[in-house]
Order: sequence, then C-alpha cells, then structure tokens
Amino acid sequence: MTDAELSEAEKTFILHSVQDNFREDGRGNEDFRHMEVETGLISNTNGSARVRLANTDVLVGVKVQLTAVDPEKPEVGRLDFFIDCSANATPAFEGRGGEDLGSEISAMLTRAYSCPSAVDFHSLCVLPGQQCWLLYVDVLLLECGGNLFDAVSIAVKAALFNLKIPNVTMTKDEGGVELDLSDDPFDFKRLNVAGAPVVVTVNKIGHKHVVDASEKEEECTLARIILGVTEKGTITSMRKEGSGSLDSDSISEMMESARKVGMELNKILLKALEEEEKQGAKTVGFLR
Amino acid sequence: MLTNKVFIKKTKMGGVMKIVREHYLRDDINCGSQACTHNCDSDGKEPLEEIPISDSKLVMKPHYLVPDTNVVLHQIDILEDPSIKNVIILQIVLDEIRHRSAPIYKRVKDILASSHKHFYTYCNEFNMHTYAERQPGESANDRNDRAIRKAVAWYADHLKDTEIEVVLITNDAGNRKQSVLDGLKAYTIHEYVRSLSNMSLIDRLANPLNQMNQDNNGKVLFAEHLGLAEIQKGIRAGRFLQGTLLISRENYLEAFVSVKDQEKMIFVQGLQNLNRAVNDDNVALEMLPDSEWSCPSSMVLAEDEGKDEEDEENRALNETVVDNKVPKELRQPTARIVGIIKRNWRQYCGILQPSIIKERTRHLFIPAEKRIPKIRIETRQAQTLASKRIIVAIDSWPRNSRYPLGHFVRCLGEIGDKDTENEVLLLEHDVPHQNFSEAVLSFLPKMPWTITEDDVKRRRDLRHLDICSVDPPGCTDIDDALHCRELDNGNYEVGVHIADVSHFIRPGNALDQEAANRGTTVYLTDKRIDMVPDLLSSNLCSLRSKVYRFAFSVLWEITPTADIVKTDFTKSIIDSKASLTYAEAQLKIDDPNAHDNLTKSLRGLNKLAKILKKKRLDNGALSLASTEVRFYVDSETNDPIDVKTKELMDTNSMVEEFMLLANISVAEKILYEFPDNALLRRHPAPPPSNFDPLIKAAQSKGFTIDVSSGKALADSLDQAVVPENPYFNTMLRIMTTRCMMQAVYFSSGMLQPQDYLHYGLATPIYTHFTSPIRRYSDIIAHRLLAVCIGADASYPELLDKSKIQSLCNNLNFRHKMAQYAGRASVNLHTHLFFKKRIQDEEGHVLFVRKNALQVLIPKYGLEGTVFLNDDGQKSSSIFVYDEENNTQTAGDVTIHVFDPLIVQLSIDRSNVQHMKLSLKLVKPMIPGFSVQSVREVQANATGSQSKTSTTDLPISGKPPQKKKKRTH
Amino acid sequence: MAGMELLSDQGFRMDGRKPNELRRIRFKKGVFRQADGSAYLEQGNTKVLAAVYGPHEIRGSRGKALHDKLLINCQYSMATFSTQDRKRRPRGDRKAQEMTSHLKQTFDAVVLTELYPKVQLDIFVEVLQSDGGNYCASVNAATLALMDAGIPMKDYVIACSGSHMRDTPIVDMNHLEESSGGAEVIMAILPRCDQIVFLEMNSRLHEDHLSGVMDHVMVGCKDIFNILNQQVQDELCQKTELDKIVTTG
Repeated sequence: MTDAELSEAEKTFILHSVQDNFREDGRGNEDFRHMEVETGLISNTNGSARVRLANTDVLVGVKVQLTAVDPEKPEVGRLDFFIDCSANATPAFEGRGGEDLGSEISAMLTRAYSCPSAVDFHSLCVLPGQQCWLLYVDVLLLECGGNLFDAVSIAVKAALFNLKIPNVTMTKDEGGVELDLSDDPFDFKRLNVAGAPVVVTVNKIGHKHVVDASEKEEECTLARIILGVTEKGTITSMRKEGSGSLDSDSISEMMESARKVGMELNKILLKALEEEEKQGAKTVGFLR
Repeated sequence: MLTNKVFIKKTKMGGVMKIVREHYLRDDINCGSQACTHNCDSDGKEPLEEIPISDSKLVMKPHYLVPDTNVVLHQIDILEDPSIKNVIILQIVLDEIRHRSAPIYKRVKDILASSHKHFYTYCNEFNMHTYAERQPGESANDRNDRAIRKAVAWYADHLKDTEIEVVLITNDAGNRKQSVLDGLKAYTIHEYVRSLSNMSLIDRLANPLNQMNQDNNGKVLFAEHLGLAEIQKGIRAGRFLQGTLLISRENYLEAFVSVKDQEKMIFVQGLQNLNRAVNDDNVALEMLPDSEWSCPSSMVLAEDEGKDEEDEENRALNETVVDNKVPKELRQPTARIVGIIKRNWRQYCGILQPSIIKERTRHLFIPAEKRIPKIRIETRQAQTLASKRIIVAIDSWPRNSRYPLGHFVRCLGEIGDKDTENEVLLLEHDVPHQNFSEAVLSFLPKMPWTITEDDVKRRRDLRHLDICSVDPPGCTDIDDALHCRELDNGNYEVGVHIADVSHFIRPGNALDQEAANRGTTVYLTDKRIDMVPDLLSSNLCSLRSKVYRFAFSVLWEITPTADIVKTDFTKSIIDSKASLTYAEAQLKIDDPNAHDNLTKSLRGLNKLAKILKKKRLDNGALSLASTEVRFYVDSETNDPIDVKTKELMDTNSMVEEFMLLANISVAEKILYEFPDNALLRRHPAPPPSNFDPLIKAAQSKGFTIDVSSGKALADSLDQAVVPENPYFNTMLRIMTTRCMMQAVYFSSGMLQPQDYLHYGLATPIYTHFTSPIRRYSDIIAHRLLAVCIGADASYPELLDKSKIQSLCNNLNFRHKMAQYAGRASVNLHTHLFFKKRIQDEEGHVLFVRKNALQVLIPKYGLEGTVFLNDDGQKSSSIFVYDEENNTQTAGDVTIHVFDPLIVQLSIDRSNVQHMKLSLKLVKPMIPGFSVQSVREVQANATGSQSKTSTTDLPISGKPPQKKKKRTH
Repeated sequence: MAGMELLSDQGFRMDGRKPNELRRIRFKKGVFRQADGSAYLEQGNTKVLAAVYGPHEIRGSRGKALHDKLLINCQYSMATFSTQDRKRRPRGDRKAQEMTSHLKQTFDAVVLTELYPKVQLDIFVEVLQSDGGNYCASVNAATLALMDAGIPMKDYVIACSGSHMRDTPIVDMNHLEESSGGAEVIMAILPRCDQIVFLEMNSRLHEDHLSGVMDHVMVGCKDIFNILNQQVQDELCQKTELDKIVTTG
C-alpha cells in the first residue's frame, strides 16, 4: 500500500473520470485491470495458486487434513480460511500489524463460501457422521495494489481448482473404519469449483460506481459493497463497507453491476484455468 | 536435469503430508564396463570384465547379467557361487533389497565388494537416460519393472559397439514378455542356470512357489494365510495377537508364542493350528474359544527319522486331531495361527533322510534343530550327500504341502567329522564365522603400519612407564596392560591400558558393521572365531611387549589405602616391557631377590588389588568364579586336566580387580557425559523366589542361606562348608549361579538409574571397557569415552539412545549364543572323548528331579542326567519320589541332594544327529537298575579287551584355546 | 541401518547429488513494485521472497533510532503452507524469532550502516516453501533484495550449510539431510574478502572435522556467489545495453 495521499484536485479528477466512464488508467467503470493467474507453484501443498492483479499479489496454498465431522453437519467437509498479511506487502503489516485486515478478509471468504452450493461439500465428506476433509486455505498477501478482496477470492478459487485430494480407501471392521491413503500420486480427486464464488467489490465514487478500484480510486471512495458472486449469478454474500452511506437504489444498481462482472469474471477465470491445465506448462512463479 | 518425487503420507492425527523430494538426474554415471567404448568417467571402478567368458548354452556370446529384485532375493545362493560373474545390480534392485531383507542386503554388498566376482552397482535412478517416471495408473511394481527394462535397454545400446550382450534375469512372466517386445534378452534364472555347464548349481536354485504344487496331488492341507493388511486390521481391532513363535523342543507340534507387550505365553497345538509357521517366525494369532483350550502334552514327540514320506503325508491330518480331554485346571490360553507377519527363515544344518528309491531327486531333509520341520528339496546328488551334513534353505511352504519346500545350499562335510560338527555348532548358534569379506578387509590399515608424528602429537606418550601385561599362557589377543608407580606424595599412580581398537575401526564402515554384527569373539574348545580380523586382534591392537602400541589409558592416583584421589582418561602410546603369564607374574612378586621396576610395579598392583577386593566383597559382591568348571584337554596326553589345578592365583584376581575398577570408572564418566545413550551393563537382582531350590537344598544339610542381600548371600555361602565333602560348597555356588539373572547390556536412556545396578559385582553402575578386541560393547564404550575427552568424533548413531539399545539387543543375543556355542563345543568334545570308551566316575547329586537325578562329575566338570525310569520301555520307575524332602527312594536306598555316586559314562548313539552322553548308575547298587562297573565287566570278560579306555582319542593334539574368564 | 542411506556407496546423496554439489539455484530481482527492493530465490525446493523498505524514518517509537548509524529491522516469517506439516502461525514462534535476530546480525555486518544515521531499513523475508537451508536461502534472497534497493554493502553476503557424513563433507543440505540427526554447520560469508559473518552449528561434530566442513561450506558459498553474481552482472549489462539504445535513440 503506497501512502497515496491524494490532493483535492486529484480526487476531483478521479471523480470526474469515473463520471465519464473513462477512468484515469483508461478503463471503463466495469472493467478489470490486467490479471495473471498461475496454479500449482508450491509443490508441497495439495493445491496452490498465485494471482497478480496489477500490483496486488496474492499466493494461496491449500493443505488437506482428515478430521472428525462437525456433529451439527455430519455429512459435509469443511473449509478453513487463514489470511496472512506479509510484511513484504507493507511495513505496516510487521508483527501483528496485518491481523485485523487478515481476519476481515477471512470473515468475508467464510461468508462467501458458506453457501451450500459454493463447492460440493458432500464430496468432502469421507465417511458420513465420522470423518471428513478439512481444507486449510492459507492466503499469503504479498503486495497490496488495490482491490484486495477480489484478488484474494480469485486466487482462492484458482487454488481450489488446482486442489488434488488423495483418494481414500476405506476398510470396515468391527473396530471401526480404517482409512488409508492411496500411495499412487496420480490417484486423487478434484474439487468441482464451478459453483465457487468470486468476490466483486463495487466502489461508489460520486454518483457512479466502479469495480476493481485502483488504490487511488479506493482513496476517493466512501462506501462500497462487497459481494460474493457465482458463475450463475447467485449472490452468496453481501456486505457494505466504508464510512459513507448508500441509498437502496444505488445498492441495487451496484449489485446488478457486480452480478454482471462477477459472472463474466468466473467464466474467464475457469476458462483460463482449464487452458493452463491443458497446456501443462512448467510453473514459472516469481521467476518471470 | 531435475525432477521431483512426490509422496503422500498420512500422519497419526489424520494430517496428510505431501512430501516432495528433489531428484536430480545426471548424465555422468559410469557404466562400469571395461569394454565400454564411450567416455564413461570411471574413477577407476570398472569391475565388469572386457570379455566375460560365457558358460551358457543359452547365451553363447559374452554377456552381463541384470537380475531383478526377486531373483536376487530368492536366488542369492546362486549369485554367490564363484562361477556367476559379471552381474549388474541396479540401484533400484539394491534399494528394494535393503528394505526387504537386511541379511540378503549384506550378502549382496559382500559380493559387490569382492574383486573376483565382477559385480557392479549401476545407479540407474540417477541417470537421466534410465530414470523412469511413474505414470498415471501405473503401480509402483510396474514402474520398477519398467525402470529395470529401461536400464537393460540402455546398457544394450551403450555396449552395442562391443561383443557384449546384456541379459535380464527375471522370473516374472509379464516382465519377460514385455522385455521381448522391447527387443531385450530375458530369461528366468532357471532357464539360465540349466544352460550352464556347472550342473551342481541346479540343486541350489530356490523353488519357486508354484512349480512344485502342480505335481502334488493338490490336496489342500492348510488354511489360507491372511494378508498383511487384514492382519494389521485385526491386531488393531484386538481380534488377533502378534508374537514370535517358539516351537517346543520336546514336541514339534506344540509351540508357545511370546506375545508383544504381554507376559503370558500363548499356546498353539497341532499341525493345522500351527498353519505352516516355522520356529522364530513373527505370526498373527487368533484365540480359540475356551472350550478348545489345551495344554502341552507330556509326550515327547519328535519327527520320526525312518518313516517314508508318503506315509507321513497320510498321517499329517490324523496328527491334528486333538481330543480335548485336558482337565479344565490345566488348560492354557490356546490359539491358532492365521497369518505370518514376517518369516524368520535362515539356513538350516542337517542331513538327508535316507530314501528307499535311489534315483529319485525329491528328498526330505532333517534339520539338526528339532524345532524346525523337515524340508523337501530336489537334488541329484543324494548318493553323495547321504552321509554328509548339509545346509538347506526354505523357499516356501504352499498350502498343499505337508513340508516346506527348500533348496540345497552347500555341503559341510562328513557326519561325525570334527570340523564339520564345529561348523554345525556355529551355524546352529547363529555365530557369524565366515572369513572376513574383502569389503571388511579393505578397511584394515595398510602394512607396514607405522606410528606417524601426528599420532604422537595426539596421544600422551607413556612409553617410558614400566607397563606389562598379565594373561593366561598362549594368549595372543592382549587387550590390557597395567602399571603402578609410587608418587612423591606417597600415593600410587596406577594405569590400566586398553588396546585402542576404536582407533582402527571407524564407525559405520564395513569393518565396523561386521564387528558390530559379530558382537563378540567366540571361544570354542579348539577354535577361536574372531570378532575383528587377525591383523588387528593379534597384531596391531594386541598390546604385545617390546613394540609401540596405541592404548586407551585409565590413570588413577590411589592412596596406599586404595582410595581413588583422581581419575584421568587419555589416549596414549605405550611400550609394554613384558607379556607375562599369571604364573610368571606371581613368581616375580614372590621372588625375594627381584627388585627391578617391573616387579615393584607388580607388587604395588597386587597390594592395592587385595585392598580393593576386600572392599568389594565387604560391599556384598558375590564370588562365584570358582564354580567355573571347564573341560580342558592336555595337549600331551589328551587327558582332562583335573579341575583343582585351575586354582586361581593372586595375579588373576589382581588383574581382575583393576579391570573392574577401570570399567566402573569409565561407566561413571560416560554416564555423566551421556545420561541418555551410555552403553552400560546391568545385572538385575534375582527375585527372592529364584533362591528357593538353593535354600531347600542347603537346609537338607543343615545350613541356612540368607538371600536378603548380596552381602548376606555371599557370607552365608562362605560359611556353608562340609569338611568331608569338598564339593559341597562348589555345588552350592553352582546352584547359586543358576538362581541368577542374566547380565545384559543396555542404553542408559531406556531405564531408570536404580535399575542400572550390577548385583553380582555389587556396584551401582558398570560397563565393559577392557576387552575391545573381543567384545563390541567395549568398542562403543571406547568411542563414548573418546568423545567425552574430545579425542574422537561422535556420530549420530552413537548419540541415539534407541539405536544404542538395538545394538545392545544384538550384543546380548550374540553373547548368549557365544556362551551356548562354547558349551556345545565342550559337549561335542566330551562326546568325541567318550566315543570309544565307557568309564566309571565319581559324581555328586546336584538336583533330584521327578524322574531323574542331575549329577555333577567334578573330574570333567560335567553335568549329566541319570534317568530313573528306563525311557526306552516307558516302564514305571522303581523309584519313589519324595517331593517334600527332595529324595528318590528305591527299596532301602534313598538318594539325597549332594550324595556321592558312581556313574558310568558312555555315548548313546541311537540318533545320528544328536549323540547324547548317557549316565548310568553304578553305585549305590540298586538291583534291577544299576549297571555293573566297567572293571567288573572287564574282569568277567577275561582279559580280552582290557584297557580300551586310555588311548586312541579323537581329540586333536592342539592345546585348548585359552579363554580369559572375566565375564561379569 | 534399514532407514535411509544418506550417502550411498556409489557416492550419491539421496537426491542424486554428489557431496559437493549444490541444489539448483534460480532467482529474480525486483519482483515487487512497491517495495524499495525485492527478490525471489529458489534453492532446490526451498523458495524465499525478500523485500526491503527504506531507508526511511523510524517507525513507531523514535527511541529506537541509532544516532550514528542505520537501524536494521528484520522479520522472518514462513507461510503457513510452506512446511510439510501445516504451521499454525507464520511468525512469532521461537524459531522465527531466532532467525529474525540471526538475519539482523548478518546484515548489520555487511550493510554500510554508518552512511544512514538515525533512520531505519526494513528487511522482510517470507519462506514460501521449505525444504532445508531456510536461513541460507533467506540470506541470499535478502542480499539480492538489498542490491535491488540500491543499499550500499561491503560485499555480497552468501550463506550455505554443510555437514559431515560417512567421512565426507557435504554442502547445501536439504530437509531430509537436516533431519537425519547429524551435525549441521551454517555459515554466511563475504565471498570476496573471505570473511565469515555468521556461523552456527547444531548437534555434535568433532573438532577435527570442523575445518574440513567449514572449508567445503566456504567453497559452497563461493559457488553460490558465482551463480548469483554471474546473473546479476548479465542483467546489468543487458540493462545498460538497453539504456544505451534508449538514450542514443
């Protein structure tokens, strides 16, 4: 996060540009910036992905673990989100400095993924009533260049797409059920992420709203809503943020925008991921 | 080039570990062939010959063999044959063998190190051309097979400009088929061996599991074994138990299983319930319902030697019918075996069962060990092997075979021949006794060995001291030397100098591993099986006089009242001034005219030793040494030397005292520095109930033995003397020895300090430091002490308490076996001694048993059994056993413990493999039981064959090996 | 014995390297825009990101400022997914704190701190994947990040680990070798002036072997230095070429 203290004139410029649907970097109000996604670059995780959205850099690693089911939901597996704001992103995150932001993001992700259709939670249950998979989704925030929430959600979805869960063989005997992992590294199952949401943050600037705000634009925003949107357009979560206030009309407008952008984003992301998978290219990661 | 290996592991807590390891692939790996036309960077290692001579009709051209894992595992006997040369062992094969069988891995390593076998390890896994990445859907085994084929193909291509062919040897049909498709040469080991001109190799082929079954009548005799996964599940669920099978020596159809973490032994009875488990196997058990519980029958059941095999096969099923008429109170927890967790087969000694049909190739083999079943083998040499002792290995035991299937390994020699019998006894006690392999010998110092300046710099120079060694006559492996000199302050400086074996044996190399495996030097009556090669044991390490030798010295400052002021440990160089025998040393001490430094030194040592000994005995140390009666044969007359002549001299105990002191000092030091991983020796106090027979026996003569403490025991033993029976006290001490527990090595981190106690020596802590030439435990103590004083480096295994403990377990096993082998050797010689004679001797009753008397014959230091019921006829005994008073009565004769008897010694040779010394009662005369004395028989048969007994002895003229008896 | 053979009879380590061979090293300087300097470095499967901020005004309490030199502030953290077993916390545990202070010590010795009195420099290191030699990779990555940030230093500072196995010194240990229970010597040196700025040893190693292992680690450090320096210079040359084209038009 650069300490971008904007002058009044700059703010006015940004405000006007948004008003004209021609933003300071040339985008329209519903356009995303250039984004790079790569999966599978941390080999000792079960799934990983890195997203670089302009200067925002997010790395996600997923590790799986067998665990006892939640007695209240005995037939589904679980996701556990953890966000680490690395001091690499800004010295302000040093020590415990990034914890507040981290828990804010993880709460948002948890909410977005609380929708039962987000992923097939039933397929994560190994043995109903007893054992299920617990997916640790660990997000590492490496650089902040605006629109954090969206970038994180995209990286999470990509990592879940990349996730390879080892197949489990079950053998029953009177002493209970014994679970064994396959020793074949190719013997795994994938998680269907078609229903997984991405988060779209819609920022109210003046009378208009924009998606994928740059840091400067974020400075000019007093209110935004953060929505989880699936490929089908279902809104899985919603939250208003910021010190300003919004009227209900603009909220529904913003929601519409978010839905539209979100559906498109999901589609493009999935296509890109499948493309990458098909090519099977070697990972480059941070070396590029 | 780089690739990653990926493993997925599950941890106990359900965590899933994805383990990613880098795996670098290279292009600089040498093919190892002298014929190579490429620029392989060889480092001078090219064991494969340029033009290997082919002996095979199958592959006429010169060729190299590439065996797969199973061929190496099962046919190691073939590979070891000198005629099999030029073999490439792939890294992948070697790795798999290492995981599957440690003994075979060691044998392969030995072959690889041998220069005339021309074996070569090719690191196929690290070569970019031969590495096979696992493919989706491919099992680990399939991948390994593919990797082997890839390596063979690479070799074939690599050597295509030469005459040499590369031949894959695999018994896996699928692999062979695929190889042919790939254009490679592949044969089974059977095809290949049959094509060789050396026909004797065929006998040594292991039987593949399926081959023999087919020509059997197909009747399934045994229940199927459960798979390992199912067994593990059952064990976790508590349905099955896991343990080691111990077949009864008396009855081969009965066994006990010592279950892991459980005191109680579980009983298994009958062929069906034993279900093809062999003694020592690790098995899975299922408990039978209470109603089917049984107990060991009192019947002695050995497999008959004479019966023909068909006969036995028919009997097989009948034997298994166990009628449960066992009274409830005798019943023991009984189980049946459902699966084998790990086979513990080794090679077995024995003889061929005489066969009626001469020409047939299938034979039964009778192992010398009664607990091992007969083994069916195929051999064409039955005629020549009939009178020989041979070795056989088990290959498999299919469900439809009454006997396990095996193959002939090698012939030891004629039955009854002393060398053969020695070999048998070594094999049966699992004493490693092969010549040291080339790999081992390669780690010996190069001769001529000299002391370098660097050596001198690192050691304290003690060459000016008047050091000498005191040992039994004829001793060549001198472990220890001593000195003593008076200091200016009136105190003494005493030094114990121990051969610095750890200087020559470096941790982890083949020499070290060999020594660690052997554990101890084994002393037989006429032979010594060294733990380390002769160059070290009798030369470089041995502290001989008049040569400079490296030593590990313990130096004390001791007051004239034998209190230790200061202890110091150092590596040193010494110059022993004399190698004395105990008698020579004694003479020097006693000679009033001798005033040289050496004599003064000895006198000082002797004086201090006496004080030390008194202190030790006052502390409650037991003196049981005098009970050590041994069978010695005089080199001139071949007559046993009387036991009394083995009386200990002062000098014996002088040396012993200082060795004890050194061991204790070292134990304290290494424990202080390494509280977790010091190698110590403990001797647990026996539970009081162990002493019951001793107390009872002594009571019968009116003595009370107080066993409340070691000290009390020692005192009461000293007082129990009957003037008219000089052996009474000796016998009591023998009995006391029987009450004792075994002393064992252990790693200090595995026990609580109060359990470190050495009961016999009455010291809270003890170790072995003073005989590193003949005990591996001492080498470890040396290494630990060297690390303590910064003289040498440690290594991870030395600091790992559980590794030290597993080493101790092996050492304890080897020591026990060495003891047994020693005893068996004495027995063997006794048998040879009495082979052609019958002799009457005086004996004493040591124990009175229900159906027998245990008799001690002091003249030979022998103990034997007089059976009171004539076991041949199974007739009821004329003796009446009084359990209360521990006596046997027949008519008006009553026999008590300690009673003197005359017994007649002879050899019972009804069993070819197991000759027994038989004792018959001569005096007191009991009509219908006692036999006539030899003299009376001779008097009756007038003069014809008198005096048969003193000549023509089979024992060789070599003097017996002198064993240093300082075992505590 | 039935465990692993860390060094085979044929002279190969578990991963196919010879005793004196390093793992593959790959790196990139300047991976982030916002930090003043950054670098990403891989040593085998150990992957590290380093970022440098500053020199800038003292953050937080001014009392920390040093009147005569630069205050170097380090933070070492490990991504929760970086290890075989998932970590609960990315930093703050004792091991991470120890690493932090080791890094600070190392860079105090090499950065020309007297040039920047009363201000602060931040060095942040993030381990993304851990497979042994975390400290070494962190130091090497941070050196590159400092260069990227243009912070004046006496020399490169290069770290490498080593041990002693079957009478042979080995260098650049991976996780498997580190966890085998043998000794581990870790050194950071200034490769062009042969100075050791950091030295640590774990477990027991005999004095006689120490100098041998240290010599090999020293050679390992220099090998790493050559690899890094080569690429750094190449990049620099390319950049000046480019600049020339730009300026000359």
